[in-house]
Amino acid sequence: MLNPSDFINESIEDMKNTIGDKKAIIALSGGIDSSVSSVLASNAIGDNLIAVFVDHGLIREGEAEYVEDTFKDRLNFISVDASEEFLDKLEDVIDPEEKRKIIGEVFINVFERVAEDVSAEYLVQGTIAPDWIETQGNIKSHHNLALPHGLVLKIVEPIRDLYKDEVRIVGSELGLPAEIINRQPFPGPGLAVRIVGPITRKKIEICRKANAIVEDEVKREGIEDSLWQYFAVLTDTMATGVKGDMRDYGYLVVLRMVESLDAMTAQVPELPWHMIRKISQRITAEIPEVTHVSLSVSDKPPSTIEFA
Amino acid sequence: MKILVINNHGQYNHRINRSLGYLKYPAEIIPNTTSIEEVIEKNPLGIILGGGPSIEKAGNTPKYIKELDIPILGICLGHQLIAQAYGGEIGSAGIESYAKYTINILDENDIFQGIGETMDVWTSHKDDVKTLPPDFKLLATSSACNIEAMKHKDKPIYGIQFHPEVHHTEKGHLIFENFHRVCKEFKK
Repeated sequence: MLNPSDFINESIEDMKNTIGDKKAIIALSGGIDSSVSSVLASNAIGDNLIAVFVDHGLIREGEAEYVEDTFKDRLNFISVDASEEFLDKLEDVIDPEEKRKIIGEVFINVFERVAEDVSAEYLVQGTIAPDWIETQGNIKSHHNLALPHGLVLKIVEPIRDLYKDEVRIVGSELGLPAEIINRQPFPGPGLAVRIVGPITRKKIEICRKANAIVEDEVKREGIEDSLWQYFAVLTDTMATGVKGDMRDYGYLVVLRMVESLDAMTAQVPELPWHMIRKISQRITAEIPEVTHVSLSVSDKPPSTIEFA
Repeated sequence: MKILVINNHGQYNHRINRSLGYLKYPAEIIPNTTSIEEVIEKNPLGIILGGGPSIEKAGNTPKYIKELDIPILGICLGHQLIAQAYGGEIGSAGIESYAKYTINILDENDIFQGIGETMDVWTSHKDDVKTLPPDFKLLATSSACNIEAMKHKDKPIYGIQFHPEVHHTEKGHLIFENFHRVCKEFKK
């Protein structure tokens, strides 16, 4: 097993040596990876670390408030609303790899601007092992590695050799709140990878609502800790339905729930059928644009955890 | 002395390193473009050939198989490269195989010690070994793949088609423990 206190000491020492008395910014999404990296970096360089939360317009319900409330008193915290910039660049883009690349580039643009404002020379990122493994293997490009040419910020990745389960062990050792440690992973490109086809504000809203319903019902059932991730995907497939004697023609939403230790392999477990039914019923009733809900049953491999 | 993990560009190669690290076996992951001289200079206890997407990207792995006189464990593509190096045939799998399968262990030999007659394993492959090389014996088979595991009749060279290094292969660590024991005994 990983020895968390050795790892923490080495990591802090390394960052002290690398960053010295310069300033650094960290990309803080509020997920476990960037939260752990933030605390490590702040232990290493103290107030010279500025934590930056970027709202790209593709975050979950209540996300921005949650992250701000959690970190504003713990770190030098800045929140940037860049949703216009992201959504403009994503207009009419269909290819999921293209979406990931655009999001990566806009992220870097935003961080470069912030870094200039605060005169930071380093960018700390919460990259973990599966991120760069999948990028090297050309499976999926992960948002925080898509660095354009001529990047001036030096990148520091304190947890790049860890897997998620190890990050959680380090997070506990650092005394992060249990809620952050046990939170389900949420991909950097956010809902962009859960919307098939072109991204519009309307589709983001539908996707966000469906994801909130899934989260709500999984927690009501009390099985959130046994699942690695649980979410809804808005496809661009339309299905014919009948709602209140009227013909309906709306979206197909796919539910996906998997168990995993480190995201490298994942399995769809047996799920409580009444919960699946309840989710389907609520999504089709509470979101007028959705006509049909289905459940994904594919493991990783051959599928990946997220849809796009 | 270290076990060297040869990175054949597979997604789980880094995981092999983690599995060995968790067992407290010194290990190092190296690119498959490392020259045979550099490998010998590292004086490894044994080598593990990782999986990967294509034979064209296997680098010097076929050379390591032929020229190194130490225990070798090939996983997935590594297993196929061993078969090819010793005159077996490889090709597209009749049935592509992903996620969980149960393999039948015909001969526990060194590598399957302590596991029993069957083992639940995770797989991810489009190709497999079609014919056993002449100097090899079959150790395990499954409904998706005839040659899930094999061993050289005289040398400590093992090939397995599935992935013992991923979390979902629950008894995978036993394979690494067994291989490590083989390496230690070979050293004596």
